[in-house]
Amino acid sequence: MNRLEDALRGALRREEPPAGFAGRVLAAAQGRDQQRAVSRWWFFRQSPRLRWAAAFAAVVLLAGGGIEYRHQQRAKAERAKDQLMLALRITGSKLRLVQERIRWIEEAPMER
Amino acid sequence: MPEAVKAGTVDRIDFAEVVREHQAMVFSIAYHFLHDRPAAEELAQDVFLQLYRNLGGLESPEHVTHWLRRVTANRCIDVCRRRKLMPRIGLDQIPEPSSPAGVADPLLERRLRQLVASLPEKWRALVILRYQEDLDNEEIAALLEMPVGTVKSQLSRALDLLREKASRFLGEVE
Repeated sequence: MNRLEDALRGALRREEPPAGFAGRVLAAAQGRDQQRAVSRWWFFRQSPRLRWAAAFAAVVLLAGGGIEYRHQQRAKAERAKDQLMLALRITGSKLRLVQERIRWIEEAPMER
Repeated sequence: MPEAVKAGTVDRIDFAEVVREHQAMVFSIAYHFLHDRPAAEELAQDVFLQLYRNLGGLESPEHVTHWLRRVTANRCIDVCRRRKLMPRIGLDQIPEPSSPAGVADPLLERRLRQLVASLPEKWRALVILRYQEDLDNEEIAALLEMPVGTVKSQLSRALDLLREKASRFLGEVE
């Protein structure tokens, strides 16, 4: 080995990077992970096919929700109607009872 | 060598150990190539981030080392070509000492580094991989995807140029 090669080995020996280098690399890698997560969401928002799929899903959900709501409202109205009819029937029967009672009271003294 | 790397699985947890293990190698290749500490640090950081994205494809510690050397050397060459860094330090700009100096002389080492940084980028990569990383011609050829004969001849020409320029302050170099 000649002197130049010796000198080159000495001059080109490995050097440590500035303090905190590894920490900065790890922080940058972590930052890139977070950025990637954000960019996935960004892709979702930017991709026309996914955007249309999302819009379609939203419409289906809203329509389904609307139909279900109307169905529930109708069932509620039916139950209310049934309850009202029952109440009217009860009231009618009670009124008839009262009416018969009144009639009985009115007729009773004459018979006595 | 990190335990998990020894086992042949490089995962996200081991990335920190890989960085600590190889940071001096990557930074030094970049620094000796670019002769610019901030630029070398930036390049080394980019190389490690690229490694982070490619961790899944690396199978052994040797593969990691090979990958880092190859990517760092190629990135250095690209940066030099893109920024036209190569002529930043021309051979003619380097002052020559009036008297010969010893090889352990820090001034001499600094001037040698400047001389290396003034070489054409391919030659620079060969010299750095040979004398910093202590690789032989076959390993350098595999790393830079060059024929062994080309590595041998270009390295020889690079050394001739360095010898010619360095002779005045190295004294007899043979």
